[in-house]
Amino acid sequence: MNISTPMKRRLSLAALAIFLLAALAFVMLRSGPLAPTRVTVSKVQEGTLSPALFGIGTVEARRNWMIGPTVAGRVLSVRVDVGDSVKTGQLLAEMDPVDLEQRLASLDASITRAVSVQAAAAAQQLDAAARRELAAVNFRRNQDLADKNFISAGALEARVQEKVSADAAMQAAQASVLGAGQDLTRLKADRAALLQQRLNVRLLAPADGVVSSRDAEAGSTVVAGQAVLRLLDPGSLWIKLRIDQGRSAGLLPGLKANIVLRSQSQTSLAGRVARVELLSDSVTEERIAQVAFEQMPPAVSVGEMAEVTLQLPATSKAVLVPSASIQRQGGATGVWRIEAGKPVFTPLRLGASSLGGQVQVLEGLKAGDEVVVYSQKALSSESRVQVVDSLVKPAGAGLAP
Amino acid sequence: MISLAGRDILHAWQKFVFTGLGLGLLIGVTLSMAGVYRGMVDDAHALLSNSGADLWVVQKDTQGPYAESSSIRDDLVRSVLGMPGVARAANVTYFTMQVQQGKDEVRAMVVGIEPGQPGGPGYLVAGRHLTRSHYEAVADVKTGFALGDRIRIRRHDYEVVGLTQRMVSSGGDPMVFISLKDAQEAQFLKDNDAILNDRVRTAANPAFNRPGTPGLLDAVQATQTSSHNVNAILVQVQDGLLPEQVAEPIRRWKHLQVFTREGMEDILVAKLIATSAKQIGMFLVILAIVSAAIVAFIIYTMTLGKIREIAVLKLIGTRNRTIAGMILQQALGLGVIGFVVGKLAATLWAPVFPKFVLLQQGDALTGFGVTMLICALASTLAIRAALRVDPAEAIGG
Amino acid sequence: MNPGGIIIEGLRKTYGQGDTAVEALKDVNMTVGPGEVVGLVGPSGSGKSTLLKCLGAIIEPTAGRMVLGGKVIYDGSWKIPDLRTLRRDSIGFVFQAPYLIPFLDVTDNVALLPMLAGVSNATARARALELLAALDVAHRARAEPSQLSGGEQQRVSIARALANRPPVILADEPTAPLDSERALGVMRILNQMAQQSQTAIIVVTHDEKIIPTFKRIYHIREGRTVEEAGEGRSLEGLA
Repeated sequence: MNISTPMKRRLSLAALAIFLLAALAFVMLRSGPLAPTRVTVSKVQEGTLSPALFGIGTVEARRNWMIGPTVAGRVLSVRVDVGDSVKTGQLLAEMDPVDLEQRLASLDASITRAVSVQAAAAAQQLDAAARRELAAVNFRRNQDLADKNFISAGALEARVQEKVSADAAMQAAQASVLGAGQDLTRLKADRAALLQQRLNVRLLAPADGVVSSRDAEAGSTVVAGQAVLRLLDPGSLWIKLRIDQGRSAGLLPGLKANIVLRSQSQTSLAGRVARVELLSDSVTEERIAQVAFEQMPPAVSVGEMAEVTLQLPATSKAVLVPSASIQRQGGATGVWRIEAGKPVFTPLRLGASSLGGQVQVLEGLKAGDEVVVYSQKALSSESRVQVVDSLVKPAGAGLAP
Repeated sequence: MISLAGRDILHAWQKFVFTGLGLGLLIGVTLSMAGVYRGMVDDAHALLSNSGADLWVVQKDTQGPYAESSSIRDDLVRSVLGMPGVARAANVTYFTMQVQQGKDEVRAMVVGIEPGQPGGPGYLVAGRHLTRSHYEAVADVKTGFALGDRIRIRRHDYEVVGLTQRMVSSGGDPMVFISLKDAQEAQFLKDNDAILNDRVRTAANPAFNRPGTPGLLDAVQATQTSSHNVNAILVQVQDGLLPEQVAEPIRRWKHLQVFTREGMEDILVAKLIATSAKQIGMFLVILAIVSAAIVAFIIYTMTLGKIREIAVLKLIGTRNRTIAGMILQQALGLGVIGFVVGKLAATLWAPVFPKFVLLQQGDALTGFGVTMLICALASTLAIRAALRVDPAEAIGG
Repeated sequence: MNPGGIIIEGLRKTYGQGDTAVEALKDVNMTVGPGEVVGLVGPSGSGKSTLLKCLGAIIEPTAGRMVLGGKVIYDGSWKIPDLRTLRRDSIGFVFQAPYLIPFLDVTDNVALLPMLAGVSNATARARALELLAALDVAHRARAEPSQLSGGEQQRVSIARALANRPPVILADEPTAPLDSERALGVMRILNQMAQQSQTAIIVVTHDEKIIPTFKRIYHIREGRTVEEAGEGRSLEGLA
């Protein structure tokens, strides 16, 4: 067939026009609002989960002490420095006793004086006893005489009165002896107290440990309760772990722990939950647990951050879905399934989840059901969907075309 | 009757196609500008829809958390949870900052969320949601991160465990989701030098550094480095209730401001995007005028090149209507070619733009109509020239 | 009065007004019968073009009477409402240059006027092909005007003038670009067409090669016409 030039031209231009329009239609349907939403699906299987709890904590010393005076005073000397190992009873620091010695001397003097006073009272008592004796003898004699009417009644009464006085004097002397004795006791007690105080001036190590900080130097004034030194027991380091309250189900003492210290992020250490605290942090909404090292790592510092993963016992077999497929629709939690090419929302009851992103399904799905895992846009029951293998290119940035 | 316009186009098709291509690129630019505006509005809508919230509770007298900075205590969420009609409420923080990956830095909006609560990404395109309470991140694909990448936000490294799509801030920055506590620390905790400086200043203040109260200084310094603020509380209302009903009691506390979806849209679209919208609008007007001028010029030149033929046609008895129709059809044909080329070009280069470009079908139809109108109007200049030609010129003097 | 043909009586055309008035035509009288081919000869500036323009209903005369094809088209004022249709259907123009429409092929150039007049495309093209064959350019029917030689183009333009079967043809120096053989050929065709369709043809010319072929010639000088008998040399036997 011979096509003339104008005809050829017409045909080629028509072909170009059709190509352009087709390209336009293609492009408009593939991208933009008319295009279907691309999703990936996966078949759910039954399996068990090894759930785990994750939290971060700081290394702390279980046993630590603040060594300081019980009264305000000036530090006389500090005998140890940070890092020193100390033994129980070791003298760590001394406070300035100030006037303790002088007061002890004063008390000693008072005691000596009290002893003298006590001796004087004893002598007085003897004296009073002798007088009483005399008065008693006189009375008896006068009594006899009075009976025989040799002396007047008045004379007898005078003797009676002498006797009574002598009795009273005796009692007074006895009382002052007692008083002197009590005074002495009191002064001795005061002295014992001052001695105790003088002992307090010496700060002794309450237990074996390592000095972790030296907070006051000789000559500084410290108040009661302020620490001069801090001690800790290096063998008692453990991790104070904080776990979100909402994700702490199953936290029990004895759980195995996997510890990664911030300073040694390549090694993971073994540990165990030593204690779960009764008191949680209500402000940060975290539960607190103490995790002990199975073996104390060599170079660890108090205050260091650690990431701890606690292994919970494996769950029983149940259908597992990836957490990415879980959606909320109208207040219910569930997944989207594809039925007859359209998305259908299936509410589920969910159970435990693992750190790897798998979640147990207690109710709502059977093994082998297909659920939508990833989608380009939020789905609704009217969305047009197209199932693809993957939405992102592997190991490279960007989206799959 | 044959189509004079069609024959002319066929005869000088190269000129037509090239002119159409040039006009098409201009139209493509115009459509892209409209797409940029629509993209900005869509960014705002996506931001609001993806947060999954019905109400936004922010600091009183602010228009946060997107348009203005807002800071509220993080324990207020418990009181909000107790308000009638509130189904779910969660703290969120938003902070735009540079995120590092290797040697690259990406500008992203770091969002602090509580997993499973409003504020987090509703759907993923790869990976999984956050499961650990610290140091995991879900990033939008626009950041260029891949699963398993380690990224650095402020003081800590995070592992990218999931990817999302179309999670962007109102400014078009991609989002990176991390746990709320990490985000609070990233937003409010300063660098080491600043912390040391603050500690020294506090220690120098005699009000805080009293010898008689050991422990006071430490307590004060601890509060300085702890962060208990968030930017907003996102609320989902119970089914069947109007968001405004639930918002009003919360607002009456007088210490909080509450926005419904309409209020946030108004803020984002009307206020935040307003300046850009005006700029784009002006640009569109200018482009339309330029396109009209170019089409008018082209058609006028084409017509002038045929002035003798037009005179002859008039002389031998062609009606004005036919001649005008020929010119008009050529102008419209040029417009059609230009529009098809422009729409194709705009659709092809839209994904290359750094910000989201949304080409809506309605805009395309409007654009087509406007193009046809402009071509028709532009052809009037040439038609006037053609009609004024004196047929007597065909006959020499 | 013959039906058809051209009758011009007392035609006057004045350009401008008052002091600058120019009387291009003062008193023109012409009669051309149907089937006649008449020459119109005169020096430049004598008003030839003005006369053609008046006859062709392109400009309006100042006074006089014009009858074309039996219809009074002007009698002091235009008597026909739609001049353009008049030109399309009643007058065929042949110009000095072919002035073919470059974006239409040869056939469509010729068929254009009938199509504009409402004739179906097929009929119009058939008629065009007939005319092209008669003018011996049918082999160029599908070519574009730019591909034709000057003489071929001129013949196509004549075919175009004849396509709508107008009763009158006005030819303005149709043989100017042609050599003598071709020029006489054109005159032969014109005479043939005139005879066949009873068309009245006025040929404005100063081409010495063809002036002898006219039976009647009108001389025009300073706006007045004078009739004179021509040689009427035969065109038979010419290719």
